[in-house]
Amino acid sequence: MKFARLVLKSARRSKRRTALTILSVAIAVFLFASLRAVLDGFSAVAEASSSTRVVTIRSTSMIFNMPTSHADVIRGIPGVQDVTWANWFGGIYKDPKNFFGQFGIDAESYLRMYPEILVSPGEKRAFLEDRTGALVGDGLVRKYGWHVGDRIVIQPGIPYYGTQDYTFTIRGVYRSGASNVDNQTFLFHWKYLDERAGGAGQVGWYVTQLRNPDDAARIAMVIDQKFANSPYETKTDTEKQFSAQFASMLGNLNLLLGSVALAVVITTLFVAGNTMAMSVRERTTEIAVMRTLGYPASTIFLLVVGEGLMVAIVGGAIGAGLARLVINGEYLGMAGGFIPAFGVNNWNVVVGLGLSVLIGILAAMIPATMASRLKIVDALRRVA
Amino acid sequence: MALIDLRDVSKSYRRDALEIPVLNGVTITVPAGDFMGLMGPSGSGKSTLLNLLAGIDRPTRGSIRVADTEISSLSERALAGWRARHIGFIFQLYNLIPVLTAFENVELPLLLTSLSKKQRRDHVMTALGIVGLGDREKHYPRQLSGGQEQRVAIARAIVTDPTLLLADEPTGDLDARSAGEVLTLLQRLNREYNKTIVMVTHDPHAAERAVHVLHLEKGTLVEQVESRA
Repeated sequence: MKFARLVLKSARRSKRRTALTILSVAIAVFLFASLRAVLDGFSAVAEASSSTRVVTIRSTSMIFNMPTSHADVIRGIPGVQDVTWANWFGGIYKDPKNFFGQFGIDAESYLRMYPEILVSPGEKRAFLEDRTGALVGDGLVRKYGWHVGDRIVIQPGIPYYGTQDYTFTIRGVYRSGASNVDNQTFLFHWKYLDERAGGAGQVGWYVTQLRNPDDAARIAMVIDQKFANSPYETKTDTEKQFSAQFASMLGNLNLLLGSVALAVVITTLFVAGNTMAMSVRERTTEIAVMRTLGYPASTIFLLVVGEGLMVAIVGGAIGAGLARLVINGEYLGMAGGFIPAFGVNNWNVVVGLGLSVLIGILAAMIPATMASRLKIVDALRRVA
Repeated sequence: MALIDLRDVSKSYRRDALEIPVLNGVTITVPAGDFMGLMGPSGSGKSTLLNLLAGIDRPTRGSIRVADTEISSLSERALAGWRARHIGFIFQLYNLIPVLTAFENVELPLLLTSLSKKQRRDHVMTALGIVGLGDREKHYPRQLSGGQEQRVAIARAIVTDPTLLLADEPTGDLDARSAGEVLTLLQRLNREYNKTIVMVTHDPHAAERAVHVLHLEKGTLVEQVESRA
């Protein structure tokens, strides 16, 4: 501890340089934690997905619809307990920047099948009874300052749903009971959508509740077989596979984001290492003086590593803290949305801080070795 | 009894394929409590001799005994510990750490000891008091004059109460008045505190303050002068 002040004062020697090094580590840890949050978000959705639910979409692409008659066919398959459906609305609330999921749902069956959508019985009843009612996630309510009873106007974003604005009344606010349910979604009645859509009785996707999760593969195959060679062929997967495929639409995220994170960390390592080396080179005489005073090489080594560590940890703490604030802070509008479970968790903070420790140690390793191996007489002669 | 006992010490440096002799078979004995001046022209080997005595350089040949320890055979780590205990070094350019206050600069050697914070503070304030800078403990080197900086450097050299004080041109970068103050201080340390001092200098006036003066030329001891001091 008695050397702490010495380390601190050495780090503050060139305030601008130290601040820039701290900033570079902070940015690296911020990016790392944020990118990990994206990956973790997708994983969390897949992990929280039910194994007793299968999702059916058009075999060509999920952007194409299917007829409602599919529901009766699916319901008739042995092992199927329940069926519901939904459509992606893609509307615009005031400004295209205000992006959030808007689903037209078959309300009763949908809420029955998703007990993770937590809503009070009173609000649920009010929603079910109002054809133009909406059930809104609490995250969305906080974000836009909405209240139950507010009228919300949404402009259709897909021409198929017409050109006239849709007016909804918020009848309830739900909370998310699991990572697979986003708390920033706007749910409303599919019937309201269907009345004004270009073709009646069209559904975006079906969700089928199974009696036994072991039947998932078999029933998925049976569903697809039922509609084979029809104009509306389907592709059915478990909810987990569906989530994973949804994520994979964006490419190999793990590799992509992992590579970006690694590149950032390695670059920061070089930047920090170079800065430390420069700082030690400038202090050659001082180090020689300390060695003359009796400081062993090992103490000099530890002092330089300590300085690197301190700078990196401060940067890491700032980066991790900033990531928590920006990503998790709902008022800043980053949390939720496209990835329901998007957030920098404690583990990511710990890993981010660990990473900064690693950057600090590795960046200081070469300068510390240089400093500890310094020949005192040569170093003193260089200046004298 | 001899505090320093150099026997047939030689030192040469290698520059590429060339071997450059700096000291040739120097033999010196310095008793405890002496104040010895080392004079000689540039390149005569006096600073090299001081570095060998400080244990920051190693002889090519010969034996160096300081305070009953044969330092030429000590390992690097042992030598560092030995320096911390026995040597106080005063540089020509003071070499204070610019980001540390006078107090912190003087405290630097004490951080290697097991002294408590309070004990360290007492030692530092005593040392600063001896050099007459007790009121400048919070000043940074840039806030001190050259003479004051050198006095802080002397405080740093004496704070551990070392066996031997080594001064390499301690007045070489000072004006006459400051140089006089520093030399008076060194004399006081020798006379009042019985510190053994070896001082390298170009300046004959500075050398006059020493008890004995040795002359080196081309790495060889040429004469020993009894000073008037």
